[in-house]
Amino acid sequence: MLRVCSRFSVFCIALLLMCSGVSARSLAAPEEVPEGAELVTVGSPFVNIYTGPGRGYPIFHVAEYGEQLWLLKRRTDWVKVAAHRDKSGWVRVADLNEIYGEDGELVRVPLPDFSDVESQHFHLGFSYGDFAGANSMGATLGYRFTRNLSVELRATQAVGDFSDSQTYQLAVLHQPYPHWRLTPYFMLGTGINLTSPNATIVATSDRRDTAMLTGVGVKTYLSRRFALRAEYANHYLLTSRENNQEIVEWKLGFDVYL
Amino acid sequence: METWFRRLSVAAATVAALAATPAVVAQDGDDVLGDIISPDLERREIRESQIDSENIEFSTFAGVINVEDFGSNALYGAALAYHINEDVFMEAAYGETELGESSFERLSGSAPLLTDEQRKLSFYNLSLAWNLFPGEYFVFGDWALNSSLYLIGGVGNTSFADEEHFTYNVGAGARVLANDWLAVRLDFRDHIFEHEIFGEAQTTHNLSAQLGVSFFF
Repeated sequence: MLRVCSRFSVFCIALLLMCSGVSARSLAAPEEVPEGAELVTVGSPFVNIYTGPGRGYPIFHVAEYGEQLWLLKRRTDWVKVAAHRDKSGWVRVADLNEIYGEDGELVRVPLPDFSDVESQHFHLGFSYGDFAGANSMGATLGYRFTRNLSVELRATQAVGDFSDSQTYQLAVLHQPYPHWRLTPYFMLGTGINLTSPNATIVATSDRRDTAMLTGVGVKTYLSRRFALRAEYANHYLLTSRENNQEIVEWKLGFDVYL
Repeated sequence: METWFRRLSVAAATVAALAATPAVVAQDGDDVLGDIISPDLERREIRESQIDSENIEFSTFAGVINVEDFGSNALYGAALAYHINEDVFMEAAYGETELGESSFERLSGSAPLLTDEQRKLSFYNLSLAWNLFPGEYFVFGDWALNSSLYLIGGVGNTSFADEEHFTYNVGAGARVLANDWLAVRLDFRDHIFEHEIFGEAQTTHNLSAQLGVSFFF
């Protein structure tokens, strides 16, 4: 009886070894890994792999300590990885804080971050506001080139009861205290204002004026990449008429660090 | 007695330490201190991964828009979205349609209110959306498709009848991903603007339903 048992256990162990041999052989790179995908080794105890880039999607696989992963691409705060046995899915960037490259170096997946004030970056923003009584909407594309200074391209369209206008500007922004959570900024710029009076009310032609822009505002960071922004701007239109025109604009919007 | 003894020993140790320290420094501070303090560790090497990001979504859509008083008409458009995080994305969209005859024009039998050129309606908007319910849709037995239901809202401009109309839009949509970079979107929006075509200002709610295909890159 005892002999039968021991034979059976030897058989089991042999079977296990065979199986592990089979699995070891299947540890080749998955077929779908493209050229140039980065190969890393998991250094944390385990990494959850989700079916999609979001917490709502289920975890269908777990990569263990020492397992190899190929990094394919990033979407928002998630990285698509390919693991052995043709498993590929999404991993939270925060879970990849301990992965090692082929030479044993620690690999970090870079994420844009507003609080990293020393880094140069682009930001994109949408805004909604009041342009001398007219509703206005705007888009801005900015680039921060030092910790205090950024430059912005701004486009605004305002639709009012008496006239519609479009403004296109280039502005320089100065943030004296970029580290503050509620950080003020000052703005100087120039551009053009296109004004078209509503024909049904007043019969005048469209105007195109050079504008000088001054403004002040505050930004506050709601998350690492998302900032709310409130702004007061003064447009000084250099018109061809007798008097120059001043327009006051209030804006509320958001900025996203690209 | 014990306290007294402890004090004495502490004092002795202090004196010894004071006497010893200058001697050590005088000897050659760098070597001895260096041996004790400097850790025998190599600097940890950190590298940033060269991974590509894929946060932009381009979509084209077609659908139906009902412009109040002008009937339901075909709508075509395109949108560009930037995904900020898993919950929020921002989108700029453009759409076009051609208005039908208003009921006033049909009933009165008078000359048309708008020329053909004025019947071309185009809009654009800047919106912010919230992926409220991410999850999976199960189609038959074999398919589990990643999806998300989102709420979206924003401001924009609607242009028709030679007028610009400031427009608010609110709506909801569903995105179903076929794979990582291809998705199908179904959107329902209310475009709210005020116009004065019939003499007095009226706020109109204009509903659109559109089906689109989007690509992530």
